Amino acid sequence: MDYFEGAKIQIRAYLIFVILAENLLLIVGIWFAVAKLYLPLAYVALGAYAVSVIMTFIITVAATDFAMQPLQAIWRAVMHLAPNHNNVAAPDINKLVVGRTLVTNLTAQIYQIASVAEQTASVVDKQSSSLKANFIASNMPLPLFVLDASQTIVYTNAAAGAYLGRNADDMIGQNVYSILNMLFPSEATFNVWLQQAKTNSVTSSSFWERVRIDVSDNQPTRLFDLAAYYNKGNSLHYETMLILFDHTKSYSQDDQAVSLIALGVHELRTPLALLRGYIETFDEETQGKLDPELAGFMAKMKATAQQLTAFVNNILNVARVDNDQLSLKLHEENWPMVLQSAVDMMSLRAEVRGITLKLNIAEGLPTVGADRISMQEVIDNLIDNAIKYSGSSKQITISSSVNAEGFVETSVQDDGVGIPANIVQNLFTKFYRDHRNRAQIGGTGLGLFLCKAIVTAHGGNIWVKSKEGKGSTFSFTLLPYSRLADEVKNSDNKEIARVAHGWIKNHSLYRR
Amino acid sequence: MDLQPSSMTPIDTTTSPHAGKHILCVEDEHFISELYARALTKAGYLIDIESDGTNALAKAQSDNYDVILLDLMIPSIDGIEILRRLRDPAQTKPLKAKVIIITNLEQRDDVRADIEKQADGYIIKAEITPHELAEFLDNMAL
Repeated sequence: MDYFEGAKIQIRAYLIFVILAENLLLIVGIWFAVAKLYLPLAYVALGAYAVSVIMTFIITVAATDFAMQPLQAIWRAVMHLAPNHNNVAAPDINKLVVGRTLVTNLTAQIYQIASVAEQTASVVDKQSSSLKANFIASNMPLPLFVLDASQTIVYTNAAAGAYLGRNADDMIGQNVYSILNMLFPSEATFNVWLQQAKTNSVTSSSFWERVRIDVSDNQPTRLFDLAAYYNKGNSLHYETMLILFDHTKSYSQDDQAVSLIALGVHELRTPLALLRGYIETFDEETQGKLDPELAGFMAKMKATAQQLTAFVNNILNVARVDNDQLSLKLHEENWPMVLQSAVDMMSLRAEVRGITLKLNIAEGLPTVGADRISMQEVIDNLIDNAIKYSGSSKQITISSSVNAEGFVETSVQDDGVGIPANIVQNLFTKFYRDHRNRAQIGGTGLGLFLCKAIVTAHGGNIWVKSKEGKGSTFSFTLLPYSRLADEVKNSDNKEIARVAHGWIKNHSLYRR
Repeated sequence: MDLQPSSMTPIDTTTSPHAGKHILCVEDEHFISELYARALTKAGYLIDIESDGTNALAKAQSDNYDVILLDLMIPSIDGIEILRRLRDPAQTKPLKAKVIIITNLEQRDDVRADIEKQADGYIIKAEITPHELAEFLDNMAL
């Protein structure tokens, strides 16, 4: 209030000074006019009144302006801050004659209040936008997981809770791998991407298809597409976002298609076995009695029946892999013998197409742990592919030796049409077919998928090296039996039971 | 062409280490039994075919055979029941014959293991040709 009193005194003093000055001026003027100019008093009085009217008018205007100065400055200050009057300039307080301290003080207060109001407004704004984000995230009908740098769940929404059959809040603070048991169709898993993103990127995103997740104990496995976003060093610890898209329905239609085909194909087994039996009997008992052309037909008949049998077995085994029912029994096997007999079984099919199978087996191979029938199928499929894609080339080389890691590595090499680099990575995926050859070359897109499932269940790897126009080499590894010896010790009957899956577990570095 | 085993003379009795051994083939699918009969006879075995469960059980219990090929799906008494009765000391004295299951039935692993425990062999018909069956028997210690 001191500033206010100060301003009042200033204005009062100004008014007193001006009025006294005016009075003095009038009296001096009257005295001068009466005493020196001897003007008649009546005129002087009239003149004095006129002067007084004019001066009062001038003084009032000046005094009003003067007294209103502080108010005007404050008005400017308020208007300057008012949202719709932003063209009003801020008052220049230094030019103020009257009430400067009052005005300085008041405008400072006004500015402060305004800035508090502004802050409050912006906080409200922020709160409402985070409310919006929260609303979207928690009500989004897709399962969402937000992870910190240690893959711990820091946020998850209602849809995630509903899918996993648990309370969303209960999952917070748990490691994502302990909540989501993800099985990927290839080695490019979520964890592989995340580790790469952590090393190489500030932000990164990726997408996976056909990921199997056991969502809850009593429900069948569901199939998802997965999308993830990575953001290094996020201040909220929201480092990785993971969204699941449920495609169980469409993906399981593919699997059901296999099951359905398998159901039908199963009924082909007996007639096929009979057909092969009759062909075999005819072949044996007409040996040397047929003319060369008929003997050739007999060979082709036999080869075709074998091919059909292999096709039927492929379908049935893929259906088994899908249901985790392809069980393998690994025994100690003399690999050269297994390979030789597998190649012998295929030689007729190659022969009727004019192709020679050449077998190169290194000396002194160790025995391997293998399921003989499944391995026969792997070799069957690889040689069958080599025959189909041989083009004009007439030789397929099958070789086997011990590689640098001590595994038994077996390769099937053709000099045929080869595979373009961009499709190599999809080759071992179910139903994948090289579209270039779909029309000319038959196939189900299941053979290599099955090979991979079988080889992986053996603990080995399968891969391809190929050059378009130059041919392809498919190779796979098997473990020497000695490396499986530990597992055998724990088994009753010298065999190791494995189940072939078409899925890669999300290998995690995480240990709890 | 008459494929009844009784009317066939072994073509070459020296080809098999078990030439002259008696086989009972319990199989109601005629195409399969005639194929097996021809291949096994050719390999030097004497083969008797039976398609009915009750008759098959009676024949098996006579203990005149070295090998019994037993299909699981046959009329009147099924193969599993025949096997059970053959292995039950109260119903059948121990047989000299090896009992080999021949089937196309998809079995659960545990069911199959149960059957295999009581039998001397287990063959999926769709996975084996008649010639391979003969080889399988040749390699058995009879």
